[in-house]
Amino acid sequence: MLTIAKRNILLYFRDRMAVFFSLLAVIILIALYVFFLGDMTSKGLPDFPSKKSLLKYWFIAGILAVTSMTTTLGAFGILVDDRADKIEMDFNSSPIPTFKLVGGYITSALFVGVLMCSLTFIVIDLYLLLSGETILAFGKTMQLGGVIILSVAASGSMILLLVSFIRTSNAFAAASMVIGTFIGFLAGIYIPIGGLPDYLQSVVKWFPVSHSVALFRQLLMETFLIDAFSNGPTGMKESFQFEMGIFYEINGKPSSKLFSLIYLLGTTILFFILALFVMMKKKK
Amino acid sequence: MKKIIDVKRLSKSFGMVKAVNDISFYVEEGSLFSFLGTNGAGKSTTISILLTLQSQDIGEVKVNGYVVGKQDHAIRKEIGVVFQESVLDALLTVKENLNIRGSFYGLSKQERKAAIQRVVEITDCTSFLNRPYGKLSGGQKRRADIARALIHQPTILILDEPTTGLDPQSRKSIWEMILQLQRETRMTIFLTTHYIEEAANSDYVVVMKEGSIIAKGTPDQLKNTYSSHQLTVTTNNIEELRRELTSEGVNFKEEKSIFLIQLEHTTEAIPILSQFTSYITSFEVSKSSLDDVFITINGQDVAQHVNNR
Repeated sequence: MLTIAKRNILLYFRDRMAVFFSLLAVIILIALYVFFLGDMTSKGLPDFPSKKSLLKYWFIAGILAVTSMTTTLGAFGILVDDRADKIEMDFNSSPIPTFKLVGGYITSALFVGVLMCSLTFIVIDLYLLLSGETILAFGKTMQLGGVIILSVAASGSMILLLVSFIRTSNAFAAASMVIGTFIGFLAGIYIPIGGLPDYLQSVVKWFPVSHSVALFRQLLMETFLIDAFSNGPTGMKESFQFEMGIFYEINGKPSSKLFSLIYLLGTTILFFILALFVMMKKKK
Repeated sequence: MKKIIDVKRLSKSFGMVKAVNDISFYVEEGSLFSFLGTNGAGKSTTISILLTLQSQDIGEVKVNGYVVGKQDHAIRKEIGVVFQESVLDALLTVKENLNIRGSFYGLSKQERKAAIQRVVEITDCTSFLNRPYGKLSGGQKRRADIARALIHQPTILILDEPTTGLDPQSRKSIWEMILQLQRETRMTIFLTTHYIEEAANSDYVVVMKEGSIIAKGTPDQLKNTYSSHQLTVTTNNIEELRRELTSEGVNFKEEKSIFLIQLEHTTEAIPILSQFTSYITSFEVSKSSLDDVFITINGQDVAQHVNNR
């Protein structure tokens, strides 16, 4: 299993274009934000202290969530390529059990996802340091690492289910493009959840990636939120948190950190089981 | 002799298409076995069933005593395979590829190192061992494919059209390698090809067409059964020879000034030649080539063959 994982990781990083494309959605997101999304989001909000910094962290949370999805997706591209190039025939005619093979693909995708997210975060930290912002405390960085792993796992199992249906490289490229485009909307990253119509808000609330974004935001913004709203009118902080998707309103109450964690874990397991089910069925 | 591959009444359909239709054959241990047929004859389907990649609809297939569909894991250890397509990773070097594929067979690091050394020498891959597989020439890729197939010292080597798409030089050297391998290791080699001249090197040939076996035997048996011989005669006296042959009731074909007479045996030429000596300026008696045999076999109707068996 580890050999297969090692092979996949090696293949992913040897293919420079694949690495670039799996980061493309992130690059586009940054460009969009720099050019107009940042300004637009800022204008839609009331004034409060250190608004600019707060929005910066809000946006960083979005970048991390998108990265966790697209890089994992890129790593699963190897599975699709193996199928399309008939390399799977070689694996299937070798005495290697299916669970080890699938396990290898999953391990490599998780590894690539976590590694790329961590690298992204290091780059972000450097940027924050250079631009004179406060960087995250050590303890929180560790927690953030945990959220990265969970977020990659959640994205990974969703993608596993998706790729279990895909047989050609073209279909995969199309799916990647669609995902790269929509994830920013579905997770309330391009436009804050408060700016969306009601029916879309409920889609966002139940989309697993939204909960990884929320967890990232909670970690990154917590201390700044207290500062920003300590002097503001009561209720302003709460409505800001709902508007910006830091907490979601579920049954009239804000979703807790624990709820998001359990929801992510639950969907991870659910999609994973579904994916295995589909793969076993296809095998016949 | 032990039957290392034993196929009994095998059938496989894809929807309405009968890819393999009730075929039976066996392969003797240590022999070089050729599976001959045009594209779409059902060779690859049969192979993928042997390799446990697809399951058959009906029939029993045994590989070295293990039953396909029940003891697949054991079968996969027995077989080394060279696919028609390149199935190694283009972005990795030959050595990396061999190392990864070697680990599928539970070989330790040391064992893999020794195995790579061994197969690289057999297949002569040393010069491009550290180059990415995707950058190799067709012939080099094939060598690397064969090295991969041999990495776990299989008892059976299966090659699916190993020389298709190669230049004549590479084809020749790949063939020399296969023959040498069989001579030296006495490994059972099962290959498919659509070149009859390649099948001529083998111990036994099975010819498939449209999912059925239409002929089988040693290359010599096939030649004797399906070849017809021909007497070619040239003359200065076309009119008279034509008249004489017709009156004697000899079947012939005429091409310009050349007369072609089909024979059952080459010796039948002797009485004809002595009878018409005065008309003949030159003659030639030819046994048909394997190519002719293949075309003859393939030209015949499948139904007719199956009924004749």
